[in-house]
Amino acid sequence: MKTKLTEMAPWLAYFVIFVSMIFAGSDHSIHVASQIIILGLFAIAFNVLFGTTGLLSFGQAIFYGLGAYITGMMAKSFGADFFLWALLIAPVAALALSAVLGVLSLRLSEVYFTMLTLAFAQLAWGICVKWSSFTGGDDGIQAIPKPDILNMGGRNYYIFALVIVSICIYLLWRLDRSPFGSVLKGIRQNPIRISFIGLNVFRHKLFAYMISSSFTAIAGGLYAGIDKSIHPDMLVWTMSGSIILMTILGGMRSFFGPLIGVAVFILLEDVIGRSTEYWSFVIGIIMITVVLLFPKGIVGVSRHFAGLFAKKGGQFDNP
Amino acid sequence: MKRKVVAFVSSMLLCLTSAVSFAAETIKIGALYPMSGRGGLYGQDSEAAIKIALAEVNAKGLPGGKKLDVIVTDDQSKPALAVTLAKRYITEDKVKFLYGVVSSGAALAVTEVSKEYKTIFVGTDHAATDLTANAFQKYYFRVSNNTYQSMAAGALYMKDEMKGAKKIAYIGPDYAYGRDQIAELKYSLGKLGVQYEMVGEFWPKLYEPDYTSYITAIIKAQPDVLVSGFWGGDTVAFIKQAKAYGLFKKMKYFHPDGGGNYEVFSTLGAECPEGLIMSARHHNNWPETKENKDFVAKFKKATGRYPSYAAEGAYAGILAIAEAIKKVGNADDTEALIKAMEGMKVRLPEDPKGFASYIDPKTHQMVQAQAIGVTVKNDKFAPAKYMLGKFKVYPADKIMPTQEYIDILIKTKKK
Repeated sequence: MKTKLTEMAPWLAYFVIFVSMIFAGSDHSIHVASQIIILGLFAIAFNVLFGTTGLLSFGQAIFYGLGAYITGMMAKSFGADFFLWALLIAPVAALALSAVLGVLSLRLSEVYFTMLTLAFAQLAWGICVKWSSFTGGDDGIQAIPKPDILNMGGRNYYIFALVIVSICIYLLWRLDRSPFGSVLKGIRQNPIRISFIGLNVFRHKLFAYMISSSFTAIAGGLYAGIDKSIHPDMLVWTMSGSIILMTILGGMRSFFGPLIGVAVFILLEDVIGRSTEYWSFVIGIIMITVVLLFPKGIVGVSRHFAGLFAKKGGQFDNP
Repeated sequence: MKRKVVAFVSSMLLCLTSAVSFAAETIKIGALYPMSGRGGLYGQDSEAAIKIALAEVNAKGLPGGKKLDVIVTDDQSKPALAVTLAKRYITEDKVKFLYGVVSSGAALAVTEVSKEYKTIFVGTDHAATDLTANAFQKYYFRVSNNTYQSMAAGALYMKDEMKGAKKIAYIGPDYAYGRDQIAELKYSLGKLGVQYEMVGEFWPKLYEPDYTSYITAIIKAQPDVLVSGFWGGDTVAFIKQAKAYGLFKKMKYFHPDGGGNYEVFSTLGAECPEGLIMSARHHNNWPETKENKDFVAKFKKATGRYPSYAAEGAYAGILAIAEAIKKVGNADDTEALIKAMEGMKVRLPEDPKGFASYIDPKTHQMVQAQAIGVTVKNDKFAPAKYMLGKFKVYPADKIMPTQEYIDILIKTKKK
């Protein structure tokens, strides 16, 4: 498949912004940028289900938490050198878990699927909080070791995370543009038609679910290295909810939309949180404004304005 | 449409520019407290108490004519957010001290930041013993009680004052705070050689709205004493519901860590049963020293209400930081500050006559006396109608975590 220059523009912006952070960013902005790319990977992986396939899972935090706890607990038990191995084990475990949960929940449609994913995630959260002798309970796990080279300040870890996240995002981008990705979009638009052309809708949904989940686990595993501490908050339903929120904010019909949503959300939280303790109120108002006035999210808005000049819209991306 | 976009963008810019800037001659302290939700009152009381302490300390003056300044940010009691804010405090705001934190989970995460950035973290309200035991690192100090101290005092009280009480039941929130308390009480009772029988342990979830099934089960178990490990609104909800079932007439109610918080008395008002045995990290009516009376009066004047126990911890930490800076002569030499704080004495509102709280050099835990009292009629602190009275005081050195216990924690919870 040939890549048009305009399709490479988001990638260019992505690299310019995030690579320049390595050289120009202060310690704090690097920490914030690390959170943005990691949650950004989570959101983009989530959007494989939501924006592309049309499946609203309200329980993706289960895989985020799974990735974080596998990485955190393994590094803690087997030592710093195991951190990288644990990062590899996390997506494999998520693949296995999502295969089971997918088979159980994807049989249901729409709101029932959403509710069941929420139920599974809350179950996992419950286990994580209650089984405190194993998971550290609500106190979480602290002092997660990682290899020395990743330990020196936040910069090294940011570079490490950026490399992994970029590879993951690239793979998901290729997937989005592949025939498989087109089938997923077809399923969102008209699943009956997809089965009429002889493709198995359920199997495609399951693969999408498994792929999304294992990339989410990588994001969770990476997060365990930022703060050296993890906690059950990562598994709770509000975590899944905020990813949905950020995805909508950025624009679910575009590949990079979720990442932009994450960036805007985290930056707002950082900036507004400095000046007022009522910052969640301010963020709430901004969210309402965006959802009411710009339902296609930030990317949708900018496309709209770009379209006014170029006299054509992105015809593939209309819902 | 375009105008709306302009309005939206300009409102965002307004938010961006309103970030606060600080003068250069100040020594900055970065505080983290929840400002809304269940822990919100603790954060608000702490912030008010910090302001009182700052006024006192800055009036007296610090070396080099510097002043202390505290930035308070809402951490929502979320560990991830607390860590982000703590890192920002250190790298952007250049704070010399991290401060506060109500949630133990958040504090355990922040203490890692303190260790990594070699910045002193003065904890004021979280009670998990872990922070000064298995999760201890030398940049951490805690100026309020941990649960071990409360439960050790509780065990002494049970030994001396509740000799007939052999059958014990426990109810506490089902998370680390609730679990730790009963484990620590059992450990201390064992050390004292007190004979007892556990007739039931009950684990409602945190913020449980309905305790009916637990209350009937407790009454059925017929304990002599019900030990309770709730905090905040859960204490109030449980007492209200249990009173309706006559639970307090059937057994003693013993709540040594968080029960005697003023928040409980002010919310319960006339509904508070008489004869509950409780304690807290600070009491508004004990000790009757000038320091305590002054502190409570100043707080009342500033906020229009009496303080919950969180306030005194937040007040104490500022005094301790100022004292350490005076001893060292500046706030830049972190290692010297740590040395100065180890063993340092600070006279606090909660200290009885002739005693000053001090920081244990080994664990960096503030060593304090604990007073356990019984609810009696007292309307001097409206809207409360009942307050604690008939206090029994347990000296500080008798209720510190033993090395043996710290070793047990290290072994079972890992480092």
